[in-house]
Amino acid sequence: MSVAGTGLTVQVRLFASLRERAGWDARRIELAAGTTPEGLWRQLGLGDGAIPATVRVAVNQAFADPHQPLAPGDELAFLPPISGG
Amino acid sequence: MADARPALLVVRLHAEPFDPLALLAGTGPGGGSGAHPGGWCGGLGLDSPAAEAHFIGRVRGTAAGGGVLEALELEHYPGMTERQLQVLAQACAARHGVAAVLVAHRVGRALPGEALVLVAVAADRRGPAQRCGGELLEALKHEAPFWKREWSGGVGTWVEGNTPLG
Repeated sequence: MSVAGTGLTVQVRLFASLRERAGWDARRIELAAGTTPEGLWRQLGLGDGAIPATVRVAVNQAFADPHQPLAPGDELAFLPPISGG
Repeated sequence: MADARPALLVVRLHAEPFDPLALLAGTGPGGGSGAHPGGWCGGLGLDSPAAEAHFIGRVRGTAAGGGVLEALELEHYPGMTERQLQVLAQACAARHGVAAVLVAHRVGRALPGEALVLVAVAADRRGPAQRCGGELLEALKHEAPFWKREWSGGVGTWVEGNTPLG
């Protein structure tokens, strides 16, 4: 999936149940400027509608706002419900 | 009284079984000889803290659905998981003014009875040590990216959420 010439390329990563449901774990994707994690979630068809409340977003390996526009080179991850410890 | 110095932090992920008691004794993950005088605290250069709180969590033998658990698989987000554990331990240690925190967590495929997590806190008083340990354990269950998959009857099921505090 690409948007020619925007220069906005991000790495998208999925984990655990989200990865298995989607059938892939990492993709490099070129986006339109201003694209947010929320927009990318819809664009990639990862779920019906908005990001579910149980799924968290990380940008560059830190929790992030799903409505914050992505920057070139960002690593975006969608994280299903955490169950550590 | 809170310790004004920044806490000493140790965060470790173990892809193979680890012995939490050996870590506490300062002999390393596999045990063996040569325990460090003063255990893990001595290994950090701390002289005999007056209070230590330890928690060890192990893989239970039953799955959430009640069946026999064959194995527990622990996935993590390399890089972010370690960073989050550091951030959570640092914040918790600062809130409670403790001297040192050790967090060890298993990743990969673990068997019933094997250690999953060790949280150890050293402080000047039992209250901060116990409160910091309990709070950090709850924080890492919800804020550090780990995902559990239970294997029972040859079927893997992702665990969505945590067991109750009890």
